[in-house]
Amino acid sequence: MTTSAAIPSDRTAVYAPDLMQVAGLTKRYGDQRALSDVSLDVRACEILGLIGPNGAGKTTLLESIAGILPADAGRVLWQGTSLSYADRREVIFYLPDGLRPWDDQFATRVVWFFAAVYGRSENDVAKIIRSVGLLPVLGKRVAALSKGYGRRLMLALALLTPHPLLLMDEPFDGFDLRQTREIMHVLRDVAAGGRTLVLAIHQLIDAERVCDRFVLLADGRLRGVGTLDELRTQTGQPLAGLEDVFLALT
Amino acid sequence: MRSPDTIVVARARLHPLLAKELWDVLSGRALWTMLLILCPFVGYSFFQAVSLYGEASSAARDSPTLASGLSPLDGVFVPTFGALYLAVTLLFPFVAIRALGREKESGALRLLVQLPYRVPTLIAAKMTAISVAWLISLIPALSALVIWAMLGGHLYAPETLNLLFGQLLYGLLVGAIALFAASISEGSATAAIVTLAFTIGSWVLDFALAGQPGLLEWILRLSLTQTLRTFEQGLLSIGLLLGIVAAICGFAALAAIWLHPGVPPHTKLIRSIASVAIVAAVFAFATQIRTSLDLTEDRRNSFPAADQRALAELREPLLITVHLAPEDPRYVDLRRNVLAKLERVLPRVTIRLAAAGQSVVGSTSDDAYGEIEYSYGGRSAKTRSTSHREALPLLYGLAGKPIPTPVVGEDYPGYPLVTSGQAVLPWFFGAFPLLIVMAWWWTCRAPRIPARFIEEGGQP
Repeated sequence: MTTSAAIPSDRTAVYAPDLMQVAGLTKRYGDQRALSDVSLDVRACEILGLIGPNGAGKTTLLESIAGILPADAGRVLWQGTSLSYADRREVIFYLPDGLRPWDDQFATRVVWFFAAVYGRSENDVAKIIRSVGLLPVLGKRVAALSKGYGRRLMLALALLTPHPLLLMDEPFDGFDLRQTREIMHVLRDVAAGGRTLVLAIHQLIDAERVCDRFVLLADGRLRGVGTLDELRTQTGQPLAGLEDVFLALT
Repeated sequence: MRSPDTIVVARARLHPLLAKELWDVLSGRALWTMLLILCPFVGYSFFQAVSLYGEASSAARDSPTLASGLSPLDGVFVPTFGALYLAVTLLFPFVAIRALGREKESGALRLLVQLPYRVPTLIAAKMTAISVAWLISLIPALSALVIWAMLGGHLYAPETLNLLFGQLLYGLLVGAIALFAASISEGSATAAIVTLAFTIGSWVLDFALAGQPGLLEWILRLSLTQTLRTFEQGLLSIGLLLGIVAAICGFAALAAIWLHPGVPPHTKLIRSIASVAIVAAVFAFATQIRTSLDLTEDRRNSFPAADQRALAELREPLLITVHLAPEDPRYVDLRRNVLAKLERVLPRVTIRLAAAGQSVVGSTSDDAYGEIEYSYGGRSAKTRSTSHREALPLLYGLAGKPIPTPVVGEDYPGYPLVTSGQAVLPWFFGAFPLLIVMAWWWTCRAPRIPARFIEEGGQP
């Protein structure tokens, strides 16, 4: 796997129009409100970071958007048109956190399954396997993979899908610093290739490195949306990092 | 909303999904463990059946009357397949639950429901894999049939295939229940408990409600074991077939309804109620269908051919009033020897239990207890016999028809086979289990990694 030299520090370029809008998403678990009237927009080809502490509602938000979890209220619009639950899987693919899918199967069989479902060529699969560094463990069972390789396998599955929008829950969890940077470059390449990514990340340093814009979430409520510069302006701290901005807004 | 990407998604092929489901079933320990248990289990049942059949055949060697009572269906096949039935009831749920339970436990289901397949397609693929697993489970019993033929035993294809068909339907029904249980349960253990509640609960129903009249009799009909009994008797009942297929489809539909985590519970509930209502309507319709085929070689479910032909000409409605308690053994005899056969051959038969709700003990003081009254064409006649030899002449008399002359040479000859089952033991206790272990090992091998990946992939 090759590693690019650096990750661009300034990504406040002009973005394409909104790809997806989330309007008034609300989800309750009994008396507890997991999401309260969350609205946000996702722009084409960007990497949007969903930032928040554990329990902020990041996973609930991603699962509700993907249609894996029924929301109590709210809508998801795709280029201005409301998306039903059934339609969402046609444009959105959600990669959950902490999965070991089909753990008694060999990694190569799981990769082949996704590639065959989406009609990917052997060449495409080889490229994706190379990009995420999965080759050394293709002959192993999924249950035998280390946490990092398990995460690479999941990433490979997501990249094998053709969906224009990928939602990923904690994509860097389980990677060390070097591996995290490698995967960040892979994700940047994916976004550069025309796909849009929404990443739920609780490590603010990772988020600051890879994301173009940020959605700050705490206690199921939206606390801020925008680029780092826009959030700095919002908090009145022009030199603050994402950590300081987050603390100021939540 | 239609983009080029959605077109790709809409054209998803089915074979990767089927292949995945098959590998899921084949690569698990449950199927192979069940086979290893099933092999000696079926083998020992077959050995015992063949040995007993051989002993009975020795006694019947010089007696055509005794020989005519020797049917391979009752003597060998039903006991051998009885072992399969036990295994399907107690072990197959674990194989079937695996098809979905592990995906729920590992979270893979959340990936699966995002793939470009409709949920019914996912369930259909899982049912296909379960069917294949059932067919694999059938191999020990099928090998017993082959050995029986090699020993010189008689096989009558229609009754044997009917028995196999019944086992297939029973296996699919248990599989569908297991899939539904896995769909509504968070873990495989809970799903197993739910499935066993259905299968073992059926045994409880059989023991507790046998011979009970009215509603209890109707509830007893829902027992899973009842589905097999008709096939074991050599009957192919269209109504029963429709009912079982409806039950399989119903449980599969419920599994599909409860599978997707993104559907709100109240929506699932409404859809479930609608599905159950449809299945109940099909059940009600199925109970009205009396058509059934007697596929046995000895025609045990039918009257002699001459009587069948004569009775088929009776067009008036027949009312039979039975003064017997349902649990009375005489009623069981009457039911088997006369009533069931009349229901099959006559278009309009009504059976009324005059002693329904009474016990055998409480009814014996009633003078009419034990009488069976046949009413046909405005005339009626009574008898206490439970044999068709007395009932049919009565009926012909009521209809004003002559008693038909028996057809010569139609008697079932019986198929005695003097043999010992010893020779089958090494197969079921040695060679076959070894083959199963080898097949298990073969499924555990790592698949081939395409050379292109290795050539171009390199190390990370």
